[in-house]
Amino acid sequence: MNQWIILFNKEMKEAIRNFKWIWIPLVFILLGIIQPVTSYFLPDILKNFGGFPEGSMLEFPLPTGPQVLAETIGQFGQIGVLVIVLAFMGIVAGERNSGTNIMVLVKPVSYVAYIVSKWLHMSLLAISSFSIGFLLASYYTFQLIESVPISYVIKGAVVYSIWLLFVTTLVLFFSVLFKSNAGVAALTLGITIIISLMSSITPDLLRWSPGMIASHSHSIFQSGEAGEYFWLSISCTIVLIILMIILSIINFKNKETVTHTT
Amino acid sequence: MNEILLELESIPWGLIAPLVIIQLILLVVALVDCFRHNNTNGPQWVWVLVIVFGGIIGPIVYFIFGRRND
Repeated sequence: MNQWIILFNKEMKEAIRNFKWIWIPLVFILLGIIQPVTSYFLPDILKNFGGFPEGSMLEFPLPTGPQVLAETIGQFGQIGVLVIVLAFMGIVAGERNSGTNIMVLVKPVSYVAYIVSKWLHMSLLAISSFSIGFLLASYYTFQLIESVPISYVIKGAVVYSIWLLFVTTLVLFFSVLFKSNAGVAALTLGITIIISLMSSITPDLLRWSPGMIASHSHSIFQSGEAGEYFWLSISCTIVLIILMIILSIINFKNKETVTHTT
Repeated sequence: MNEILLELESIPWGLIAPLVIIQLILLVVALVDCFRHNNTNGPQWVWVLVIVFGGIIGPIVYFIFGRRND
């Protein structure tokens, strides 16, 4: 147990020195504030710059609270995921290239602890950034637009954070598998985009897919109830996360023992 | 002159202020790190320009691509 805490602290220290604990939460906070504020000012902006003919009486309805929250989740799903993937693409691959992991692994450190402590740290950073960003987003939505029942907001956010966990696990998995940072980032982003696109195009075929989570959290914001087959996609995602962690550990073990013996 | 002042007053500063403050924090942290960290990925002065003039994206791009971790 002791070794897990030490490895986790090492990750923590590295991320603090890299300022990851400052800039990633700040990016999420920015995204979370910008979305409600632009939705609030959208009618004004369109009126002033929309180029509508003089005297045309167009009324732009203010979006509802759940809509704004769903749009914020959409921003997190695009820019937020991009930032998380780019920030963590080198989590194993970068250490392997620079040789840091050899310094760690000459000590009697278990491979399981090495990978799992990395995963825990990444997920903690991603989830806390998301939570603080979303907290501010809902605060601004409540102030500017309208309030949404708080239990809906919390439920939706918890559901969405499972998708973020899936993304961080995917980064870790590819980072163990491949050498180049850019390859890791491209593959992870490609797969997350394909999964979410496919799930929105053919929702009937992909009821189980992790990409459905975002739409489930949207419907929770609207009505407090998730869509159909909610538990199926949640349990599938959790199983996939656990599988990917186990596969990363096995892969990492094989790669390291091969490089050590040759 | 009066029009400009009226226009400035109509901007809801209470809403914009947090954005400006966060942007400033990002900018200062990135600049401090850029000056302290001498092995940036590419020439240092280019990164200073990117951070200062890159808007919100500038500091983020620096943190992701500008630092070399060794």
